[in-house]
Amino acid sequence: MLKGFNHGLRKFWSDLTSGDLLILAFSIVLAVTAISGVSFLGDRLKSSIKQQASVVLAADLSFRSASDLGAQYLELAATQSLGVAETVSFLSMVIANEDNLLSSIKATTPSYPLRGKLVITDFNGQVIEHAGSPKRGYLWVEPKLVEQLGLEQNNEMAIGKATFIVEGILQDFPDRNVGFLAFSPTVIANINDLDVMGVIQTGSRVVYRNLFSGSENNIDEFLENIEPVPAEIRVQKIDGIGDQLGRTLDRSTRFFNLAGLFTIIIAAISSMIAARRYADRHLLNTSLMKVFGASKNFIVASQVTQLILMILIATSVGLFFGYLLQSILIGVLKDLLDAELPSASFKPIGIAFLTSFCLVFGAASPYLKLLGEAEPIRILRNDFQFKLKNNLAIYAVALFTLVVFLLLLFEDIFLVSSIMGAMIILASVLYVIGSLMVYLLSFFQSSSGIGWKLGLKNIVHRRSESVLQIVVFGLSLMFLMVLAETRTGLIDSWKETLSEDTPNYFFFNIQDYELPEIKAYLDQELDSATVFTPLIRGRLLSVQPKEGGLMKSGEMIDRESNLTWYDAIPDNNQVVEGSWWTDDAGSQMEVSIDSGIAASMGLSIGDQLNFAAGGTNFTAIVSNFREVTWESFAPNFFFVLSPELGRDLPQSFITSVKIPTDNNQVSKGFVERFPTVTSVDLNAALQQVRSIIGSASLAVQYIFILALIAGILTLIASVFSSADQRKKESAILHTLGAKRSKIFQSAAAEFLVLGLLSGFTAVFAATLFSGFLSTQVFDLNYKPNIFVLGLGFTVGVLSISIAGTLAIRKTIYTSPVVTLRNS
Amino acid sequence: MKNSILEVKNITKEVNSPEGVLTIIKNINLSIGSGDVVSIVGPSGSGKTTLLAIMAGLDLPTKGSINLLGSKITTLNEDKRSQIRGKDVGFVFQSFHLLPRLSALDNVMLPLEISGSEHAQEKAKDALARVGLEKRVQHFPNQLSGGEKQRVAIARAMVNNPKILFADEPTGNLDKSSSKAVSELLFSVNQSMDTTLIIVTHDLILADQCNTLHELAEGELIC
Ligand SMILES: Nc1ncnc2c1ncn2[C@@H]1O[C@H](COP(=O)(O)OP(=O)(O)O)[C@@H](O)[C@H]1O
Ligand SMILES: [Mg+2]
Repeated sequence: MLKGFNHGLRKFWSDLTSGDLLILAFSIVLAVTAISGVSFLGDRLKSSIKQQASVVLAADLSFRSASDLGAQYLELAATQSLGVAETVSFLSMVIANEDNLLSSIKATTPSYPLRGKLVITDFNGQVIEHAGSPKRGYLWVEPKLVEQLGLEQNNEMAIGKATFIVEGILQDFPDRNVGFLAFSPTVIANINDLDVMGVIQTGSRVVYRNLFSGSENNIDEFLENIEPVPAEIRVQKIDGIGDQLGRTLDRSTRFFNLAGLFTIIIAAISSMIAARRYADRHLLNTSLMKVFGASKNFIVASQVTQLILMILIATSVGLFFGYLLQSILIGVLKDLLDAELPSASFKPIGIAFLTSFCLVFGAASPYLKLLGEAEPIRILRNDFQFKLKNNLAIYAVALFTLVVFLLLLFEDIFLVSSIMGAMIILASVLYVIGSLMVYLLSFFQSSSGIGWKLGLKNIVHRRSESVLQIVVFGLSLMFLMVLAETRTGLIDSWKETLSEDTPNYFFFNIQDYELPEIKAYLDQELDSATVFTPLIRGRLLSVQPKEGGLMKSGEMIDRESNLTWYDAIPDNNQVVEGSWWTDDAGSQMEVSIDSGIAASMGLSIGDQLNFAAGGTNFTAIVSNFREVTWESFAPNFFFVLSPELGRDLPQSFITSVKIPTDNNQVSKGFVERFPTVTSVDLNAALQQVRSIIGSASLAVQYIFILALIAGILTLIASVFSSADQRKKESAILHTLGAKRSKIFQSAAAEFLVLGLLSGFTAVFAATLFSGFLSTQVFDLNYKPNIFVLGLGFTVGVLSISIAGTLAIRKTIYTSPVVTLRNS
Repeated sequence: MKNSILEVKNITKEVNSPEGVLTIIKNINLSIGSGDVVSIVGPSGSGKTTLLAIMAGLDLPTKGSINLLGSKITTLNEDKRSQIRGKDVGFVFQSFHLLPRLSALDNVMLPLEISGSEHAQEKAKDALARVGLEKRVQHFPNQLSGGEKQRVAIARAMVNNPKILFADEPTGNLDKSSSKAVSELLFSVNQSMDTTLIIVTHDLILADQCNTLHELAEGELIC
């Protein structure tokens, strides 16, 4: 054992430089470069996107409750070295200059905000140095209040029983309300002034928030410690906020994982090819050592020593390249991402070593076993070929290692198992298609020139190897195409979100009688048909389940809601269960419910809901559940009534419109003409969302490019290593007097046909796979992307045939004697 | 009568082939004394290589037993047999089997490294000098002629001072003059180190120089 270790150590350098180990080392370097590049970059981009997104919460974690949360959580968090802050928000009338305005008061602690920036200026536009809350007795107000109340520096402003001094203008703050009900302008006060205002009484609607910040681990640990969180507290984490941003984050993370996953799978495939080649070439070596008295342990120990040394070196080299690649990309990205990039973590280093150990031992250990058991008699029989029947076990071991490793790495059982499942099915399908195509080729053989004929003959002749190559090349190509398609789909769907038509103004509180005039104004100014949605203030009182059972009421049920009614279902809504009401149903008394809310309340179709609105109580039957495309930014209502119910209730109207940002005449004019209508400018909030999604798109783009480069390099590497056999053959052909051009032609033909066959199978498989991923993992609609598939096909076929012919070109142009002597 | 170094008793080898069980060699009995030079001749396919492999413990017979250097190797496991080979047995093959990526010196050092002996490099250089290749120490196999390769292989076989050396058609891939040089080298090894030689060959000139000759036909020993 020890002797074997020594021997492995001594021979390492010569074995590495002599080529056998080098091929395997090369595929490991490539795999590590790719995976560490992807995870270094992905890691940093993910945390950067997260940081930007956490601005929406002004924290990494927020507890939200309708009643005072007390100090217990803040105290606990502080002992666990988390950052903490507290806010209390409510609506209140503010009075200044004998005028008043309903405002959203936010009382904060000086540590607010934990994420994002608070920008305060004085009335001359000079930025003021400040903490997270004004001093006691002072206020900061949004520009809208300044405008509407005609405020000046140090004016007095009353909230409840107290009078304050307006110290500054609130230019920017993080946790804006993105929802369409972000009606009222914000005022920030010191949290210790709440008592003197005396506006909070039992029954007032107040939102209490505890904000926390810290590393992901610390946050998770903190949450675990206080599990279970009482039901009345809503826990918000940035990756779980469930709306558009949460989903953007979620999808980009999934894409990073997918890119990493594919890179690893492709690397695994190429490591398997390299390991096989390594084993093939080592068979002579080990058999000979056996003849000269080496034991099985000696051989295994020496090989394992060499492999471990190789892993250490190759992984370090790969990490170096990966880091380099990532730094170059970050350099490019830095100007585009306007956020400060967090520094890279050490995680990728661990991942890299785990990856190479799994790849090498997954791919090589079956061969190590075979090598250890190599019969010395092979030497006398000149038999240095592994039998193909050994391969099945080898693939099974490799696959198993891969699955376990991927599960460890990604902790996403659904993603990993569905992709591995799909891969196995696809590999089998590819195998069948490949065999069929190779079989069909055998009929074409005689029809073409001699060089071509030889090439085709070779493919048919090496049937099983050819099929294997088609599967391998095909799978690699397919992964790249799938990645390209998914990336395109994802980015397109985000572009839609960011489209120029996204409404940036909400108008609400529009009364019946104003409707025609307002519509005329907006239609004319904006040159489009404005749509108005009724808004009914109501309250869900109780639920009577269809199955009889108890009437439900209480905390979850009894809530104020904004209701509306629709005749027809809007475009961005989709019925997922039940059916939409029809005109002819005489007395429809129905309600349509947001599917998320329905699930959280445990409602089912046919339940009866009791509402109160406009001074009356009424009952509605649940007729369907709806899903809303969040990306649309359109108002979403949890409860939508049928026209029969809604039409006659007291209601106002709301609308959302897109006003070109360079034309503030429209909004100004509107406010002047219709002073009673409330307008909400969403531009700031939209901008926030836009920049986050923009960064996510960029990140996805770059990760994709990285994976693409890695994939193409790996593909080329496996083409090169499959050229071994051909080298010997072409030398023999040469000796037999075949002209170089003919040998070249035959090799070119062989690789071109292999490329074409792999290309076709890849396009076929990519279509299926992308369809599956888009619909099941990314929630996108899938339509085959002809451009991506076509380009992938062309580039794939070209790179396989060019790399293939290049790989054996050297052999063709060196003297056959040299090749034969070496063999 | 000298001490017997190799006793072959009732050796039969059968293999499974697509056409059913095939008997490659049948009921072979041999006794070889220490320091003997024995040749085994016979047409191609008569089972010479198979017999050699079994005698050297590279393969096991279906029936019969082998006593090599006092050990009943047919009852030993693979690793034990390896051990005996590493210590006392040398091999020379028709197609040389030098490792292409190792220099002549490294090739010769291989058995020493496996057995872990000291001063491997000096011993290997000595062995190369004895086969007349002291100037080729750093050459790689593809820089050597066939005859030279075989001399490196003989150096490699002798470097452990084996008591017995098996050669399977050592001149089969060589021209006449190289053949002669290689045969002479083998005999001189026998002379100088008293190594027992067992040579499987087609080469009747070589066979004639041996003190014992056995002939194999269709798996049976006919003399
Ligand atoms: N493992 C095997 N399976 C089937 N046939 C074998 C096997 N090993 C050897 N043979 C056959 O046994 C016969 C003897 O082979 P071998 O010992 O190599 O002969 P020689 O060395 O005299 O040319 C040959 O016909 C060969 O084909
Ligand atoms: Mg033979």
